[in-house]
Amino acid sequence: MIDEGRALFLQIAESVEDSILAGALAEESQAPSTNELASFYRINPATAAKGIAMLTDKGVLYKRRGIGMFVSPGARELLLGERRAAFADRFLDPLLAEARTLGLGPDDLARLLSERAARTLTEGTAR
Amino acid sequence: MTTVIEVKNLTKRYRDTLAADDVSFSIEKDTIYGLLGRNGAGKTTVMSILTAQNFATSGEVRIFGENPYENAHVLSRMCFVRESQKYPDDATPRHAFRIARLFYPHWDQELADQLIDEFQVPMKKTIKKLSRGQLSAVGVVIGLASRAEITFFDEPYLGLDAVARQIFYDRLLEDYSRHPRTIILSSHLIDEVSNLLERVIVIDKGRIIMDEETDAVRGRAANIVGDTAAVDAFVAGREVIHRESLGRVSSVTILGELTAEDLSLLTRAGLDVAPVSLQQLIVRTTQHAGRTAGDAERAASDIDEGALR
Amino acid sequence: MNRTLNVIRMQLVNRQTYLWVPVIVLGGAFAITLAIYGIIASAGVEGPMYGGGAQAPLWYFAVVGAQALTLTFPFSQAMSVTRREFHIGTHLTAALTAALLALIFAVGGLVEQATSGWGMNGYFFYIPWVSDGGPAAAWLFFFSLAMLFFVFGYWGATIFKRFGTAVLTAVLLGIALILVGLLWLVGRLEAWAQVGAWLGAQGSLGLTLWGLLLIAVLIASSYLTLRRAVP
Repeated sequence: MIDEGRALFLQIAESVEDSILAGALAEESQAPSTNELASFYRINPATAAKGIAMLTDKGVLYKRRGIGMFVSPGARELLLGERRAAFADRFLDPLLAEARTLGLGPDDLARLLSERAARTLTEGTAR
Repeated sequence: MTTVIEVKNLTKRYRDTLAADDVSFSIEKDTIYGLLGRNGAGKTTVMSILTAQNFATSGEVRIFGENPYENAHVLSRMCFVRESQKYPDDATPRHAFRIARLFYPHWDQELADQLIDEFQVPMKKTIKKLSRGQLSAVGVVIGLASRAEITFFDEPYLGLDAVARQIFYDRLLEDYSRHPRTIILSSHLIDEVSNLLERVIVIDKGRIIMDEETDAVRGRAANIVGDTAAVDAFVAGREVIHRESLGRVSSVTILGELTAEDLSLLTRAGLDVAPVSLQQLIVRTTQHAGRTAGDAERAASDIDEGALR
Repeated sequence: MNRTLNVIRMQLVNRQTYLWVPVIVLGGAFAITLAIYGIIASAGVEGPMYGGGAQAPLWYFAVVGAQALTLTFPFSQAMSVTRREFHIGTHLTAALTAALLALIFAVGGLVEQATSGWGMNGYFFYIPWVSDGGPAAAWLFFFSLAMLFFVFGYWGATIFKRFGTAVLTAVLLGIALILVGLLWLVGRLEAWAQVGAWLGAQGSLGLTLWGLLLIAVLIASSYLTLRRAVP
């Protein structure tokens, strides 16, 4: 859950971003309050507030006076763009490094990728 | 932000030891601080001096801009129940809480009752006969229910089991959210309390060795693990604060943020990056500081010896 | 002022120290003394009997004074009470308790006079030269005496708290030596008669006033010591 080695406010921000990306937190819906987040993760409210502030600065959240923080329209697109840009660094590089260790070449990887992708698809439709 | 406590060059000398050595820091209003350090590092000494229970050898302390000594106006806004607090001989927890209610202007009896219930404090047993955990619970109840503008908690969880400790942390955060106040929590169990702390002040052998935002410190170090040669190649030129080896595998703790390039370099070299918890970071920084100080002292004495020859 | 008054409530939490033990000590000393008088009276002795039993609660008051500091000072510091509030509040508590004790003695003395020494010419509370000035003067005398014992105990305890056992022992020895020295001096100068005459001239009221002066000095001295004491 909480990684002790990374700034907490970043992790708070990320978890809110994850909710937005997953669709659980819709655009124009109210975001969890600082106190709610602090209580849920059992952290200092000031830390939670910093995470929310970061998202506000980024444009992911905005403030409605007297009510609270809301998810900005277009937040999901913004985050998708961000995550896609980082995708290669975060996921592909480690994958390629491990593949090299195991002696799997790009063709092997492509084959595995297709197989697994197909399986996920069938599993999805079967449900 | 308003500063509520200002400490300048505080020194406390006991015969031949320095319990506090030129300590300077300031505390901001309505913030939770961790005063971290080993047993005997000087945490309780500093806190007693701040509350005028003990006296500085030299240096200056200002609470709400005033000298706290014999200052009822300032002292009544603070609460310090020390780890080994003495209570009147015949006092029961009921007495202690009743008395606390007399002296703390913002005392919340409802909160006290709730906590007494949660910690299962035996109200009619004399405090002398309480277990260590029950004694800590009394201190925690007083500290929390006092709603003192500046509240110190001195190793408040000693003797409390894991469940009780979690209750304390939860109630602390809850009450702080609803009624913000300045809280200074001294601890040697860093990882347990680290999520509560907005700022950490680390004290070692009477000296402040760290005074920062908790989140700024997190992520400042990383453990690089893997083949020794590869690890050494990566950490060359970086500040190493800890090193462990098992056969051909090494785990090295380095200071400094890892950039995206660093991360891909590491991945390509087949090295693992493990996070360093706040406790590990502080422990290793303290040990490292101790070693470099020791090295510096040894180097200085070597020079002296050389001069003598 | 409110906080200072609350110190009294804090002190009185020590129920045993301030209530039960003094009652037991006083009651016990009284009972034993009267029992002894009974035995002596039944043996046919006629003259008035005076014992030293009434001293017991006074010596205990010195213990109360010491414990008022040692038992409660550290906790008062945790309650954010200043040393000054603690000092004044504790001495107010002492005054209240001493006033009560003095009342018991003064009234007891009146009862003994009325009953001719409990019907056996035996006196515990009544001291002739004290009661000569009337019950009010008697009350003041006992009050002053009780306070003196309390304040002395408290004074010693503050020295202990600030400087430790060794210094306290040295100070007490020093005082004893000075007293012995004074006695030797009086003997040397063969001034016993003059000393006796002077004491007699003071009367109980005079001695009471000297007592109050000594109490004031000890209270001031212990405050200065307390100001730098650590809980």
